[in-house]
Amino acid sequence: MKAMAVRPLLLFFFFAQVRLSFSGELSSMESIPDLQESMYMVVDGYPCVRLLNRSGKIGCSNPGREKVVASIRRFRNANDLTQSTAVLVSLDELQDLLHRYRSIHICFRISNDVSFHKNIVGVLVESGAEIRDKLKGFSPTQKFPQAEFAPYPSINYEWNSMVCYQSIGSGIMLKAYDFPVFLLSESSTSMLQEVADKNEKVMNGYTTSVAEFDLVMQTCLPLGGYSVWSSLPPINMSSSYQSKPIILLVASMDSASFFRDKSLGADSPISGLLSLLAAVDALSRVDGWNDLNKQLVFLVLTGEAWGYLGSRRFLHELDMQSDGVSGLNSSLIEMVLEIGSVGKGSSQGVKTFFTHTTGVSSAVNDALDALKRAQDSLKSENIEVLSSNSSNPGIPPSSLMAFLKKNSLTSGIVLEDFDTAFTNKFYHSHLDDMANINSSAVVAAASLIARSLYILASDNNDRHSSVLGAINVNTSLVEELMGCLLSCKPGLSCEMVKNYIAPANVCPSHYVGVVIGEPSFKPYLGYVDDVSRFVWNFLADRTSTPKENASSRCSKDCTNEDEVCIRAEINGKGVCVISTTRYVPAYSTRLMFESGTWNVLPPNSSDSMGSVDPVWTESNWNTIGLRVYTIQNGAYDHLILIGGITVTILAYFMIALARSFITKALKRD
Amino acid sequence: MTVAAGIGYALIALGPSLSLFVAVISKKPFLILTVLSSTLLWLISLIVLSGIWRAFLPLKSTTWWPFALLIISSVGFQEGLRVLFWKVYKRLEDTLDAFADRVGKPRLFLTDKMQIALAGGLGHGVAHAVFFCLSLLTPAFGPATFYVDRCPQMPFFLISAIIALAFVTIHTFSMVIAFNGYAEGNTTDQYFVPVVHLVAGMVVKSASA
Repeated sequence: MKAMAVRPLLLFFFFAQVRLSFSGELSSMESIPDLQESMYMVVDGYPCVRLLNRSGKIGCSNPGREKVVASIRRFRNANDLTQSTAVLVSLDELQDLLHRYRSIHICFRISNDVSFHKNIVGVLVESGAEIRDKLKGFSPTQKFPQAEFAPYPSINYEWNSMVCYQSIGSGIMLKAYDFPVFLLSESSTSMLQEVADKNEKVMNGYTTSVAEFDLVMQTCLPLGGYSVWSSLPPINMSSSYQSKPIILLVASMDSASFFRDKSLGADSPISGLLSLLAAVDALSRVDGWNDLNKQLVFLVLTGEAWGYLGSRRFLHELDMQSDGVSGLNSSLIEMVLEIGSVGKGSSQGVKTFFTHTTGVSSAVNDALDALKRAQDSLKSENIEVLSSNSSNPGIPPSSLMAFLKKNSLTSGIVLEDFDTAFTNKFYHSHLDDMANINSSAVVAAASLIARSLYILASDNNDRHSSVLGAINVNTSLVEELMGCLLSCKPGLSCEMVKNYIAPANVCPSHYVGVVIGEPSFKPYLGYVDDVSRFVWNFLADRTSTPKENASSRCSKDCTNEDEVCIRAEINGKGVCVISTTRYVPAYSTRLMFESGTWNVLPPNSSDSMGSVDPVWTESNWNTIGLRVYTIQNGAYDHLILIGGITVTILAYFMIALARSFITKALKRD
Repeated sequence: MTVAAGIGYALIALGPSLSLFVAVISKKPFLILTVLSSTLLWLISLIVLSGIWRAFLPLKSTTWWPFALLIISSVGFQEGLRVLFWKVYKRLEDTLDAFADRVGKPRLFLTDKMQIALAGGLGHGVAHAVFFCLSLLTPAFGPATFYVDRCPQMPFFLISAIIALAFVTIHTFSMVIAFNGYAEGNTTDQYFVPVVHLVAGMVVKSASA
């Protein structure tokens, strides 16, 4: 009887549930973690991070210790923003946005509204193949990069023409921003464009998709890394008589960009590094180095983009006659030849390079003659070597500047693919990647350098001209190295790299990084980055002389002072070879590591570059991340809570009512 | 979504059972025991069913009949357990009545019997709600919400809470109806309950499959 009364109630709930259950869906998920993953989309992005120096800070960071959460909108509707927003911008809109933030008047656009909208709390930058074609160029750095280090006074000269603003100061990379900026990968770009469009359409007011930026920055570590030098032929440590003049070939292996993890620097400077490695490979196949009158030393520097850290520290250690540079004497360095950006030297089949010289001296003239002779011997390759314009104020921004500041009588030449201004339209930006250079230009530069070095080392003696014709650069080596060092496929997991080291990452990044622990000439290899370790192993292998006895296996060091252990990281493949290849730490000459901490030294009158060094450090962070998810209005959440409480209380009253009704009906209790 | 919404969803699913517990069940210790034992029984039935079906899951079939088989066997097993529950209750009732006669107290009234049935049903319902809804609510306490494509008007957690509420109600009152049906020998009532349970289960499964 009572059941009859209950049955309609039951049927009502049943039908209510029937209608609702058609809307449930759990099929694609098997567990709570799956549900959680589908709620929170992790977006892969490259952040712009906070760097600090002696006078202030640059880069981007969350304004406090909290994550920044804001709904995603496109930049073009920026004027009618009513709440905190994370704007999705394209690269040219980014320049506009950041210039407004820093109130720099943009030179070719008259903008009425120069105020930065205060509701923009985060920036997401799109990337895609069509963006490079649409832009004429993009360079976030200065007109004259690192002008304060120039050995000549004309700091107004415009080496980098892709920067357009009125004030001389710094470009967008060298300003501080109190909001997070992330560069999205191509897949994330399309996903977030959909999310932003959905946010525009759905105006119901209580749900919106938000981005959560985790870019909390804290205290800091100094920028730096490990440069590598190697000599050909290997220096005999036990012999005390060491006086062959030295020809130094220099290249650098680090670059910079607005987004830390996407600094490839394909043209500036990795094309130079590739030429150096290919030239060393070609020269290693020549015999009889011990009979020649000069000694070749190859130097690969890092930290050059952040205050010429590598070159300054190398010259400092050379003065101090430290262990790591034993066998070298700065007075013996006869000539410094630097390979700068050479990747864009190829146009219409002719490869053109320009020589920027430090002045007129016999060593420089010899080098120029050697380059001419090398060019002539490579007739079929269509290479042209020209002198740079005499109206240039001096050498372009390069490591040679540090050598000149140390000793103004240094004879040096910088080989570049540009004359009066950079031809690289994407200098120090994330767009300076493999598509920006031409492998034939790199091969041409390497051939030129290799043959010129042989001519110089053999004192331009005609006796050796037959050997000259045999010096050829391996084109497939250059292409393989490009794939290893400038792309993610195959990246650092390519055959060539894995033959020498166990890389920590697959995608190469040429950002210098920070100095971890105490800098030393025999560093713990876990603190040395992948590219430095690869270059060390490559140079040690190529410059080694073959041993008469069987090579001994090693895993760390070799007993003989003249030997080094290459391939030590590959299990069971470490072998001792006779080679002089060393690490040299690269960090500011204004810093000293003492009893566990870094100290800033006062400026020294003998170190003019140190006085203008900003002493760059990088902020420590916990995690960096970017997530996108949908949120509900706060009001909606409270509505749900009130609904739950109401249902509970209503049920209580209904039960109490039913109970009193039943007791009355039964006339009991 | 936030803690407020998470608590809201939990209350939508289990608020009425909480009210029922406070208003009716908590007054009599015997009913509390009944709730607990029926919850335990229902969970054991789920464990046994999942143990049996473990070998066949996950069902990646696109046809509907493996799912139908799953639901029919599960519902059938649970209804069978309900009959068992009834038989145990009958024995208990006889024992309690005999004890009441011995100490000179009145026998079980109709309201007492219905309350026991209600407690049994509530135990089943709470177990269902906790198992199928509360366990999903952990992400609901975080900042994000979730909408499924099939129903973009309501968040997924709200849908699951409302379904859980409906099932709690169905289970609670099913037990009352079933016990009444068994006691009076009313076949309509006896078959009404399993049919409702089966159809509800099939509908939910077909919607989510």
